[in-house]
Amino acid sequence: MPELLPEEKKRITPKRPRDYLCWAVAIAIVGGLVHTTVTNENYQWPVVFSYFTTEAILDGLVLTLVLTVASMVLGTLLGLVLAVMRMSHQAPISGLARLYITFFRGTPVLVQLIFWFNIAALYPNVSIGIPFTDISTPVDVNALMTPLTAAIVGLTLNQAAYMAEIIRGGFASVNRGQHEAADSLGMSGFTRLRHVIIPQTMPAIIPATGNQVIGMLKETSLVSVLGVAELLNSAQSIYARTYQTIPLLIVASLWYLIMTMALSVPQSMIERRFSRSTRRPAPVAVATKESLL
Amino acid sequence: MKADGTIVARQLYKSFGSHEVLRGIDLSVKAGEISCIIGPSGSGKSTLLRCVNGLETVDRGVLRVNGEDFGYVEKGNAYHAVRPQRLAEQRARIGMVFQQFNLFPNMTAEDNVMSGPVLVKKISRKVAREQAQKLLAQVGLAGCGHKYPAQLSGGQQQRVAIARALAMEPSIMLFDEPTSALDPELVGEVLAVMRDLAHHGMTMLVVTHEMGFARDVADEVLFMDGGVAVERGDAREVLANPREKRTQEFLERVL
Repeated sequence: MPELLPEEKKRITPKRPRDYLCWAVAIAIVGGLVHTTVTNENYQWPVVFSYFTTEAILDGLVLTLVLTVASMVLGTLLGLVLAVMRMSHQAPISGLARLYITFFRGTPVLVQLIFWFNIAALYPNVSIGIPFTDISTPVDVNALMTPLTAAIVGLTLNQAAYMAEIIRGGFASVNRGQHEAADSLGMSGFTRLRHVIIPQTMPAIIPATGNQVIGMLKETSLVSVLGVAELLNSAQSIYARTYQTIPLLIVASLWYLIMTMALSVPQSMIERRFSRSTRRPAPVAVATKESLL
Repeated sequence: MKADGTIVARQLYKSFGSHEVLRGIDLSVKAGEISCIIGPSGSGKSTLLRCVNGLETVDRGVLRVNGEDFGYVEKGNAYHAVRPQRLAEQRARIGMVFQQFNLFPNMTAEDNVMSGPVLVKKISRKVAREQAQKLLAQVGLAGCGHKYPAQLSGGQQQRVAIARALAMEPSIMLFDEPTSALDPELVGEVLAVMRDLAHHGMTMLVVTHEMGFARDVADEVLFMDGGVAVERGDAREVLANPREKRTQEFLERVL
């Protein structure tokens, strides 16, 4: 072997024991888990596969998706209203929004769901009508507040509080100079919002909303306590009859996992799209200049 | 719609809370005149400039821009704030250039320049694009229209910002320390564009620390300190032979 010149010699960092140790630990843990799931017959994998695509489970899956979409759409719309109220310069308006957000973020969503289901105990009858006229219809709250309505109302109202804060955070992330630049060009408040401010809030709002969707998908499992036949409740109904608790919980879990993984694909695509359209100037440079003033 | 390119202020007062920032400022800029406001930090120079296009409201005093009361109308013994649409109309005739450029990061350079004409004046995109390309060429940025602000240097961003303000065909241009946020080697290119603008007869009110620019280009210099106009007069005269002690001390420190 010819002797290399010192300038030509490769530099080598030797592998240290801990590099191998990390691999050994990880392989041992995963190997153990795989071994026990395959060999422990209590998992009852054949039962898992036999129920994986039964009608009851698939119906539950559809209802879970319906609940997620309905609560997210309604919650985002209400959240937008709350965010606008929260940013209002009128103290009573922003105070109301703040009160709402504090209340709904400060109490567990499970408690809220049970509360809405039992709201008839508080208001047995309400009448919906046009103020200052005789036109009104009495409504039986007990009949109106079915488990499904209570589920959508509860999830929506809770989600709105979180979306309000996300949307407000998006608006807060836009520099005041952007408002001033738009104003100095003579833009109306609406034009400024539509063409300058809202596009810049999106990189902050979209990824956070994506997380909320994934969170909401899993949160819908809470409404099983109201007897809404969504995914978890459907699995529970089956194992209440057959006592195959673990296999059916695995069926539900696998479906939740598949759906959240499927959702993360469009989310990362949307995230990429928005980070491309909004090229922000390097924040470091701006911060340095401001701190010099 | 008057737009004679003049600014007149008499006894302007402005406070932020208990802090009085402007304490009886007088200002007069004639059409086509270049006026520089100089002074130490916190002297109220930027606030005065921001009052002229309504980014700050005035507490008391007379402010007439383009030959009419700005932002308010005189009725009886009071000035009444105008409707937002009216204020926007008045602002559209005044160009503003900011220290931090404030380009819209979600738009290309060309879209930034087109934003005023298209979104405010409702000019067709085709006409606005041609005008934007001309303006970008005028500030030495021909061919950069497709770039986003983050892809441009500070000096280039500020020149786009000047083009964006010019696209509204204003009768007055305001500059709020336009070169203070720039690396030293980029200051010259922005000042060159401003000099060019001055030679074309634009009314300009410039808050600046660039004494060379003030001496070479300005007709008048206003030295402010502590919210008052300490000294005001012919630019070369004030900078070369300041009468007031405070002006002398300031100029000794910065020159």
